[in-house]
Amino acid sequence: MLIFSVFKTLTDQTVTVELKNDLCITGVLKSVDQFLNIRLDNIKVSDEGRHPHMMAVKNCFIRGSVVRYVQLPADHVDTQLLEDATRREAQNQIKQR
Amino acid sequence: MASLSIQEPFDLIRLSLSERVFVKLRGDRQLSGILHAYDGHMNLILSDVEETIMLVDGMDDAEPGQQVVNIAKRKMDMLFVRGDGVILVSPPSRA
Amino acid sequence: MSDASPIAPPPAQTPPETGSPPPVPVPQGSPTDFLKGVVGKRVIVRLTSGVDYRGILSCLDGYMNIALEQTEEHVNGNVTNRYGDAFIRGNNVLYISAAEEI
Repeated sequence: MLIFSVFKTLTDQTVTVELKNDLCITGVLKSVDQFLNIRLDNIKVSDEGRHPHMMAVKNCFIRGSVVRYVQLPADHVDTQLLEDATRREAQNQIKQR
Repeated sequence: MASLSIQEPFDLIRLSLSERVFVKLRGDRQLSGILHAYDGHMNLILSDVEETIMLVDGMDDAEPGQQVVNIAKRKMDMLFVRGDGVILVSPPSRA
Repeated sequence: MSDASPIAPPPAQTPPETGSPPPVPVPQGSPTDFLKGVVGKRVIVRLTSGVDYRGILSCLDGYMNIALEQTEEHVNGNVTNRYGDAFIRGNNVLYISAAEEI
């Protein structure tokens, strides 16, 4: 849930999603859901020579399970806030058991 | 000693927040970065990340010394890592 | 380990129909008993990839996520890495083997 919230705060920011098949897609994060499925707008594929069929694609939906990494805009991530939220969530997990 | 405060494996990760960690991933990839967030799936958010990808060329039956290991490195400022690719996380050694 | 642990004792299996009395229960019968017994001991953790981790088992949870201390990574018999502490994500674990008397 924590990571889902992080992605929600990053909507309308530009991110680069790297898939498990090595495809890298940069675009504007339009939405995300609890499975970390991602909708990107204005997309650009890093290596268009290798993926020419992607040139015509302007936006896409990425299933969360095929994502390897997402490169985030560092200036829009408050690392101190993240660490506090992570500790809080870890504490809640322990309480639930 | 760290083991005094560790009751479950995730405690090891919690104690590594804001520290540089080593992450071993599927696909012969390794990361080194500062840990800012994680969850129960081992999804991670790291900053100041260096990724190392190891590509081994040569026959499978070649002696270890004869195999050519190509290493590719790249750096990323802020990175989300999906937990299903994580094999191992090692905190900095607190000697 | 909590009651909600996914590592629950296996459902009772029907003993083979031999007609003989059931065997005396051994002290370390169930997998859960084994796992409780090896905490704090030297273990070998083999991953599905074939890589071995040898170290002292600090703790583990119901997903078989594992915390090891003084860990050595072994790939086909050679030590390839050492870690003071290591967290291993449970889905990668093939088995945990006791490397000393329990």
